[in-house]
Amino acid sequence: MLKKIFALLFVLALSAGVCSADEAKLKSPSQLKTEKLAAQRGTVGQFIAEDLLGDKKGQLLTTYEKYVDAIAALKQGKLRAVIMDEMPAKRFVNEVEGLAIMDEALSEENYAIGFRKGNTELVSQVNKALSEMKADGTMDKIFAKYLDGDYSSVKPEDIDFNKGAKGGKLFVGTEAGFAPYELRVGSGFIGIDVEMCANIAKKLDRELVIENMNFDALPMAVSTNKVDMICAGITVTDERKENMDFSDNYVIGAKQVAVVRADDYEK
Amino acid sequence: MKSKRYDGAGRGDFLLWIVGAFLLYLLWESGFFTAAAWSDFNRRFYQNFIKDNRYMMLVDGLKSTIFMTSGATIIGVLVGLILSVIRVAYKGGIHIPILNKLAETYITVLRGTPAMVQLLIWNFTIFASARDLNTQYIAILAFGLNSGAYVAEIFRGGIESIDAGQMEAARSLGLTYGSSMRYVILPQALRNVVPMLFNEFIALLKETSIAGYIGIDDLTRAGQNIQALTLEHSQPLVMVAIIYLIMVMVLSKLVKKLEQWLSRGRRG
Repeated sequence: MLKKIFALLFVLALSAGVCSADEAKLKSPSQLKTEKLAAQRGTVGQFIAEDLLGDKKGQLLTTYEKYVDAIAALKQGKLRAVIMDEMPAKRFVNEVEGLAIMDEALSEENYAIGFRKGNTELVSQVNKALSEMKADGTMDKIFAKYLDGDYSSVKPEDIDFNKGAKGGKLFVGTEAGFAPYELRVGSGFIGIDVEMCANIAKKLDRELVIENMNFDALPMAVSTNKVDMICAGITVTDERKENMDFSDNYVIGAKQVAVVRADDYEK
Repeated sequence: MKSKRYDGAGRGDFLLWIVGAFLLYLLWESGFFTAAAWSDFNRRFYQNFIKDNRYMMLVDGLKSTIFMTSGATIIGVLVGLILSVIRVAYKGGIHIPILNKLAETYITVLRGTPAMVQLLIWNFTIFASARDLNTQYIAILAFGLNSGAYVAEIFRGGIESIDAGQMEAARSLGLTYGSSMRYVILPQALRNVVPMLFNEFIALLKETSIAGYIGIDDLTRAGQNIQALTLEHSQPLVMVAIIYLIMVMVLSKLVKKLEQWLSRGRRG
C-alpha cells in the first residue's frame, strides 16, 4: 500500500516537473500554430484557431461557452492564447492582471445582424434603418458612448425599448457577455448592439425584446424563428451566409487578436 | 428491534470536518490569510456582489430556479403518478396494451435521452413559434416531463412494495380494482415514496442549472452574468455553489425529519 502511494506521488512530481518546464516566450501569432488555443464556441475566433492549428485542432483547441472561462484557463496556464475580438479583449486586459494582447492582429472582420434565410422583408427594413442611423449620426453617438472602455455610467433603464409599440414585438437574440457590444447589468442590458437594436425597433415601430442565450445557440434560434434577428457582434462569413441572411455591416474591420499571458509574451 | 435507528450522521459530520480542515489548510497555504490577500478578497467581493446591488442578480436567479423546480416537480409528480398507475394496472389485471405501451415508450425515451437535449428540443423545435410564451414555462414543462419518467419508476416501486395481500383483501371486500388502488394501495404507497419525491425535488433543483442554455437567468446563469460583468472567475461561481449547497442541505435535513415523522408508529 505504502509503495503504491509513493509510486503515485513520484508520478505526480514527475508530471509537475514536465509541465512547468520553461518554454520559449511567444513573439508573433505565427508561433501559435502548435500551441494550445481557446476560443468561445461558435465564434469566428474558433474558426481562426482551427485554421491556424490545421490537423492538430483536435488536440490543441478548446472551445468555451463563456470568454471568462477561456481567460481563466489561460491564466491558469492550461492554454497559451485565447483568440477573440479586440474590443472585449481590451476590456479583459484592462480589468484582469497579467494579460496582454499580441500586437499583430490575426484578421479583420465585419459585423452584421443575422436573419433567418429568406426573411428579405425584415432585412430591407433593418438595412434602411441602419443607413438612416449611419447618416444622422446616431451610430457614431452610440459607438462614442462605449469606446472609451468605461461604461459604468450607462444604465439599462435609460435605453428605450419602445414598450407598447403598435407594430408588435421585435425579438432579438444575443449573448450578453460580450462587452462593449452587449452586457447584462442587473435585470437589463446595455451595449452597442443593444442600443442599436433599440433604435432600429423605434424606427420599425416595434417593441424590442432581448433574448439572452448562448452564442452557439443563436443560429438555431434565428433559423427556427424563435427570434426575429440575432445581433451579438456576429462576423459575416461565407459559411454563415449559406445558412442565414445578413444586414449591411455595422462594424467594419473589427480585429481578431490573441490574448496571452503578459509574462509569456515578448514584444 | 433497535430502539434508535442509525442514520449515519456521526460519520458524515466527521468527514465534513476533515474536508473543511483540508480546505482551510489549502487557503492558508495559498496565502489567503495575509492582509493584502484579505483586502483583495474584500475588494473583489464588493465588486461581485455589493456594487450596484449585484447580489440582486443572484436573488432573481434563485427565484427563477425555485420557481422552475417547484413547477417541474408538480408536473413530474402528476405525470409520474398517471404513468405508474397505468403500468401497475396492466400487471394487476386491467389490460390496456396501448396505454401500457405508450407509458413504457414514454419512460424509455425520456429516461434514455439527456435532459439538456430534451430542453433544447422543447425550446427550439416543439415550441419554436411560441415566442410570447415565457421561456421559464417551457423549461418547467421540459424538466417536469423528464422528471415524470423518473417519478413513475419511484411510484411503481412504492406501489409494488405494498403486500399483494392488501389488494386481495380489498378486492374480496367487493371494492373495484380502481377503488382498491385509490383507497387502499396508493395511500400506503405514498407514505413510502414521499421522501423519495423530495429527493427528486433536490435532484431537479440542481438539474435546472442547465436552463441558462435557452436563455433563462437561473441561479447558475446569474453567476455567469456577474462573471461577464466583473470578469472575475472564481467568486461568483463559488457563491452560486454555496447557495445551492445550503438549499440542498436544508432540504435534506427536512427529508430526514419527514422520514422520521412518516415512520412514526411503525417502530417495533
